[in-house]
Amino acid sequence: MADNTDAMAEIRASFFTECEELLESLQDGLDAVWNETSDEETINVIFRAVHSVKGGAGAFGLTQLVDFAHRYETALDEVRAGKLVPEGEVLKLFFRAADILSDLLQAAKEDGELDPATFEEVLSGLAALAGGEEEEEEALDFQPLILDIGDETPQLAELPGELPPGLPPLSGPAEGEGDAQGDSGGHIYFAAEKELFLNGNEPLYLFRALADLTELTSRCNMDDLPDLSDLDPAVCHLSWDLTTGADIDAAAVAEVFEFVEGLCTFRHRLPEPELPELPALPELPVLPGAPDTAVGAGADGEPGVAPAPDAGAPPQASDAPAPKLSTDQDAKAPAAPKAGAQKPAPAKPNPTIRVDLERVDRLVNLVGELVINQAMLSQSVTEVDMPPNAAITKGLDEFMQLTRSLQDSVMRIRAQPVKALFQRMGRIVREVATEVNKNVLLKTEGETTEVDKTVIERLADPLTHMIRNAVDHGLESTEARLAAGKPERGTVTLTAGHRSGRVVIEISDDGAGINRPKVRQIAIDKKLIEETAELSDSDIDMLLFMPGFSTASEVSNLSGRGVGMDVVKTAIQALGGRVSITSTPGQGTCFSISLPLTLAVLDGMVVEAAGQALVLPLNVIEETMTVEAAMLGEMGRETQVLRIREGFAPLLDLGTEMGFRTPLESYLDHVALLIAHEDGSRSALVVDRIVDQRQVVIKGLQNTFGQIPGVAAATILGDGQIALILDPLDITMNASGRTRQPSLSLAG
Amino acid sequence: MTVALTLPERLDTSAAPELADTLAAELGQDIEIDAAPVTHLGALCLQVLLSAAKTWAARGQSLTISNINDTMAGQLTLFGVTPDHLGGPRE
Repeated sequence: MADNTDAMAEIRASFFTECEELLESLQDGLDAVWNETSDEETINVIFRAVHSVKGGAGAFGLTQLVDFAHRYETALDEVRAGKLVPEGEVLKLFFRAADILSDLLQAAKEDGELDPATFEEVLSGLAALAGGEEEEEEALDFQPLILDIGDETPQLAELPGELPPGLPPLSGPAEGEGDAQGDSGGHIYFAAEKELFLNGNEPLYLFRALADLTELTSRCNMDDLPDLSDLDPAVCHLSWDLTTGADIDAAAVAEVFEFVEGLCTFRHRLPEPELPELPALPELPVLPGAPDTAVGAGADGEPGVAPAPDAGAPPQASDAPAPKLSTDQDAKAPAAPKAGAQKPAPAKPNPTIRVDLERVDRLVNLVGELVINQAMLSQSVTEVDMPPNAAITKGLDEFMQLTRSLQDSVMRIRAQPVKALFQRMGRIVREVATEVNKNVLLKTEGETTEVDKTVIERLADPLTHMIRNAVDHGLESTEARLAAGKPERGTVTLTAGHRSGRVVIEISDDGAGINRPKVRQIAIDKKLIEETAELSDSDIDMLLFMPGFSTASEVSNLSGRGVGMDVVKTAIQALGGRVSITSTPGQGTCFSISLPLTLAVLDGMVVEAAGQALVLPLNVIEETMTVEAAMLGEMGRETQVLRIREGFAPLLDLGTEMGFRTPLESYLDHVALLIAHEDGSRSALVVDRIVDQRQVVIKGLQNTFGQIPGVAAATILGDGQIALILDPLDITMNASGRTRQPSLSLAG
Repeated sequence: MTVALTLPERLDTSAAPELADTLAAELGQDIEIDAAPVTHLGALCLQVLLSAAKTWAARGQSLTISNINDTMAGQLTLFGVTPDHLGGPRE
């Protein structure tokens, strides 16, 4: 049994993984409806996603989830049937239901349940959507025969004993004749393979799903059932003949059995498709003779149950006493919109496999070691005097290229599109918008941009906070927007894209922009800056990121949550990222996060300063130059600037800034690295020499040494030496700027 | 001697082998099965119960199933099985 339990746990785990994908397509669908880019198929996609979650959840006995998904699905079915238009409050409810579905799944994953009070409101909202239409629907959709564990079961409990004898001859699959007999309904033969159960499926749920769609009569065929002593309990010897109502089309049936394809024997014969009068059906009085043809229910002394829909059967049955046993897929269901379920075959996605993340990480680490090893090997080879063009040198070059592409490929395994992250933000926007009573549209772009999985995970919190801020503070109130002549609905845009080897994520709003005088005043009040401080606009913007800065006077309980923007900044920096702000009064604010593609390797420049080998990320180095006398200018007591073409950049000595040495007397003929800042300014970092430019494997220091100012991580160079990987932006921002011996000038 | 047996709440796929073992251990005895706790009856457990009913009947011994609740009755209906098939009066 232990194996069995393991197998179940595995199936369960893969169910949750699948659910994540289903939730994603659910969100996609809802977003498409919201953005009015949906088509007929969208609602089917939404419905299928919820339906599949329900089916899977049932297999694992997650009743809370099943119950909720069922209600949700029922409401969605109203939309599918064209009785409900998904817009306004209805759509908002669907969004909230999707959020709750996601919460329920999360709870189930952790073997818990949600407090029903948290979703009671949504549940009753969904019930109201479905319920409001239910009575009309009873006539058309055989709703009363939903064979659910719900309230209707007491009546159903009356059925089993009497049902087979009560079956009318036309529709009853009585003892084998059913197959040959024509009637208004379709016939399904179903036998489950062993694998069906191994995959966590359960015929009960299939039948129930079918019963939700149509009137269903089941007959269990137990002829092949062996004695208990010969029974293999894992193999199903039972098979079923199912009779469906005439109101269900092939696509809907196929959909129910979609997930057990290949795991069962399944044959479906459609009902006779010719039902021209049916659209007018709800208007029709009950036809005489209806009870005779009612399948099961009517004949069973349940007069209140679904007499009307069966009314469609007699004319058809008499008109077509021997309907052809067609496999024609063009059956027209009376509920016309359901025919919309017929869809073009969806494009097959690329085949994928699921791999334990740990295995990938082990591979990433191994490849990292390989890169280091390869660097060491190259170094040893160069140290031996080799004739140029020696086979070994060429071989090593190829080896290096292979290692590099191997590393790229491995990194790509870890990369994931930011889409799931963005979808979570959609939820945040909706929640915050509701709480602060603003009408907000979230636009997302570049969802397919791929970023390292760890980066995505660790980006969720800072991004959530920034999104909250954008909705809460960034956007004005509806009245203020209208007064400013803006559309009532505010827009928050979330974009992702690759820009020069980094991932850039931008959160922008079309709000009022940063109120700089106010920000400045708050910073002064909190003694973060001097009252006399001269600050540029971007300096003021950056005050938002200062520890202790919180615009508390206007912070609502929403964006507050004890997290300041400084924490956001720290979190992003910990990922090797940077945040910058641009804001235009009256037009909005844009926060831009720039992140490394991966946390595992880095294209770096190996430099030497004060005898230490140091690595600088290549992407921040704009250019390198040799310092010439004409370029140097003095500024203040201890600092110098470098004249670069038409501008100046502060000259910073890396050795001094790192505390390795005191400023040199002269920096002539040293190498200056021009560092580009996010805000467009530059500084020149002086090093003794450039050693190499290469890919280095990042080895984190944070676990051992904590956060070191100016140091991002470390790496192992080809000769086995450990070199610090620097964060040049951090260094330049906190630089002392000392590049002159103060004693030389106005000492004392 | 009549053996009394109470079914567990969930008779899902994973419960089938144990149910089969439990019942097989009582072969040769009259048996009374109490179905009151059942909230979920899967196809494989249904099969075990049907097979047991058939086996007992073939040996001329008594197998009864009682206290079939509404939920289980609804599930039996979906399966197209009546309590009679299981060897029981239903309540």
